[in-house]
Amino acid sequence: MTNTKVKEKIGRSAFTAAAILCIIAVVAIFAFLIVKSVPAFGKIGILQFMFGDNWSPDRLDSYESPLSGYYGIFTMIVGTVAATVGALLIGGVIGYFTAVFLVFFCPEKLKRVLASVINLLAGIPSVVYGFFGVVFLLPLLALFAPNNGTGLLATSIILGVMILPTVVSLSRTSLEAVPRAYYEGAVALGATHTQAVFKTVVPAARSGITASLVLGIGRALGETMAVVMVAGNSPAYPHSLFNSFRVLTANIVMEMGYAGEVQEGALVATGVVLLFFIFLVNVVFGAVSNRAVKTSAKPKKERKTSLAGVRIREFFGNIAYKLKAPYIGRAAAIVAGCFTGLALLFVVGFIFVKGVPHLIGNGYLVFGKFEFGGSRITIFPAIVTTLMTVALSLLIAVPIGVMTAIFLNEYARKGNVFVRIVRGAIDVLSGVPSIVYGLFGMITFVKLFGGSSSILSGSLTVSIMLLPTIVRSTEESLKSVADSLREGSLALGAGKMRTIFKVVLPSALSGILSAILLSMGRVVSESAPFLYTMGSVISATPHSYTDSGATLAVALYRLAGEGWHINEAYATAVVLIVLVLALNLLAEWVAARLNKKLTGDKK
Amino acid sequence: MKKVKEELPFGQTISVKGANLWYGDFHALKNIDIEIPERAVTAFIGPSGCGKSTFLKCFNRMNDLVAGCKITGKFMIGDVDIYGKTDVNELRKNVGMVFQKPNPFPMSVYENIAYGPRTFGIRKREQLDRIVEESLRGAAMWDELKDRLGKSALGLSGGQQQRLCIARALAVKPKIILMDEPTSALDPISTGKIEELCDELKTSTTIVIVTHNMQQATRISDKTGFFLLGELVEYGDTEDIFSDPKDERTERYITGRFG
Repeated sequence: MTNTKVKEKIGRSAFTAAAILCIIAVVAIFAFLIVKSVPAFGKIGILQFMFGDNWSPDRLDSYESPLSGYYGIFTMIVGTVAATVGALLIGGVIGYFTAVFLVFFCPEKLKRVLASVINLLAGIPSVVYGFFGVVFLLPLLALFAPNNGTGLLATSIILGVMILPTVVSLSRTSLEAVPRAYYEGAVALGATHTQAVFKTVVPAARSGITASLVLGIGRALGETMAVVMVAGNSPAYPHSLFNSFRVLTANIVMEMGYAGEVQEGALVATGVVLLFFIFLVNVVFGAVSNRAVKTSAKPKKERKTSLAGVRIREFFGNIAYKLKAPYIGRAAAIVAGCFTGLALLFVVGFIFVKGVPHLIGNGYLVFGKFEFGGSRITIFPAIVTTLMTVALSLLIAVPIGVMTAIFLNEYARKGNVFVRIVRGAIDVLSGVPSIVYGLFGMITFVKLFGGSSSILSGSLTVSIMLLPTIVRSTEESLKSVADSLREGSLALGAGKMRTIFKVVLPSALSGILSAILLSMGRVVSESAPFLYTMGSVISATPHSYTDSGATLAVALYRLAGEGWHINEAYATAVVLIVLVLALNLLAEWVAARLNKKLTGDKK
Repeated sequence: MKKVKEELPFGQTISVKGANLWYGDFHALKNIDIEIPERAVTAFIGPSGCGKSTFLKCFNRMNDLVAGCKITGKFMIGDVDIYGKTDVNELRKNVGMVFQKPNPFPMSVYENIAYGPRTFGIRKREQLDRIVEESLRGAAMWDELKDRLGKSALGLSGGQQQRLCIARALAVKPKIILMDEPTSALDPISTGKIEELCDELKTSTTIVIVTHNMQQATRISDKTGFFLLGELVEYGDTEDIFSDPKDERTERYITGRFG
């Protein structure tokens, strides 16, 4: 009996400790951001930094002596906002109509295919999108652009395509959540299918659609690698669709490898500004969705509309009626749906067609041994590095994440202050863009382990990044386990630990496993957190975690950027896509299969 | 867990004095005294929300799981004060429970029944085999299930699942079994089977059953308690309660005038 008691105590403390680790991670990141950025803000001056439009850092600048470089990021703030708006105009609009198409106008058979294509493509690494931009989009734009095609348009298109899956899948969920009765009510009044959809169902899903757009904005704001590859990255305003400009994330990537003292501070400060934008978007989103909930709950008469407002609405309503707006909407939805499916397939198809022959024809590429100074490229070291990184980062993140989730769902009393802090910490972690993790990892872990980048530092960095996903999806699957099972176990005299490990976790296993597989996919596809924590050069196959190395995604970034080994780059991209898609498919399959097993083999 | 546990002297009678229970500010049970005899079926009846299930869950301390629940009064099982220095897991081993909705674990039939014994340190295969067979026989299911012990328990019908849950409770050899509306989610035939089972089980076990169904109470119980708004209005031999209720509220309830 004492034995059981001891076990219970140990379990409880371990789960609590995991939750505390999550808080420590957040505190560490924020402490780092503050400690590193405040001196820079002070030295440069906040206004000078935010609104100065000359960025020409001097890497010899130090905090003791007067500055000789200029540190103004306003061009990049404008660039970031412009690129995000561009992405929203392209990806947001197309995504919205695609979701409408998927839910209401798509033939049943096509729907399943299209939906899973879109879901799978959400996992495609951003370097692959960037690479596609480099090899396909830029040459295409260069045909009529005054330059080589880099600039705002290319960036917006790539970002737009990247946020498509996010926007589509979330909008779709909220459209499908609209009660069927709304649609039926409209049709029963004589509305056509199209009218019912655009006049009744879509407005009812407005808050969910807004939320999906906001998430898309968040993704566009934090995106780094794809943008770096197509934006050109000169610190200038995007004054036309085709001129080289720079976004905030790119600023960090471009310079953190060789930054001097003040410059480094300024880069961290850039990260702080970026985070500020992301939180701003989330706050606005919170306000918007709260307002949507409130206005729908409030009785109509409390919403005052001025007479002018009514007139304007009538005017546009009339135009819309005359133009038969819903039918235009239907056409747009069908076009958008086809475009999304084809565009995403095209990205993958193009890379496959170009890459697969090189992959098959060149055995050295995948299984070769690295030769120093050799002219041939092998990605075998990158494959080993990737596997080592996946293994170590999951070994760190999965136990902490799962245990935190167990703490939150099984032990914590709801509304407890500590619980709220842990949840807040998880939310904050999930909002931090990957490049900020990279910066954090470079300045803390790398320095801690003697100043040279290593797989260990990279894995530690990315494992913090994985925590929110693992905690959240584990918690979701723990929540879905019926309380009656817990009661059944406890009523038999089983303790809490036994109940958790023998009854609750096995029932939640499918969700947890698929979260783990998706996390693997994430490690494989990330590159921004690794560039300066783990090294970015393909060299000899690593032998231990203290060696440095490039993962496949980082290797692709290098190969694409150097431009000397473009065929090898295609082949690397194929390997990356196959890996990520396989992991995503496996995740879906595991979830489906285990769920089937759990619901029993009815005879 | 290897050493054999010291048996606490849990008896088979339940004796409650001055029980009060609050959920937050809500006073759910008011000053209840009751003596439940051993090896008999005692039924709790009353309208929804009257506190009968809540009271039942006090006997194996399942109310401990509810946040904001406060209990006062003396709850004795045999000679053990169950809210004193009792190991709650040991208590629940001795006071089994069957829930309103069948809740088999998502495991095989065998694993479901072996779960309890394993919790208390029984690991030997032959011993577990024996317990599984005994428990299934005890729940009159052995012949139905002996060929599908390895199949998922979730593939059974609702009635079978509920009887499996009874077998699962029997596997730890409880002295008392609490049943919280065990047949309310079942069809009449399955209900009949469970009622027969209660009749057999009471030769060795004390059974306390909460039911919405007054016919069920008359069919299977020796004693009946009528609950209303958190009070135990009347308690006595089932025959007396249904033929000659002392309290006007009891009479109005059993004649179907409210509830």
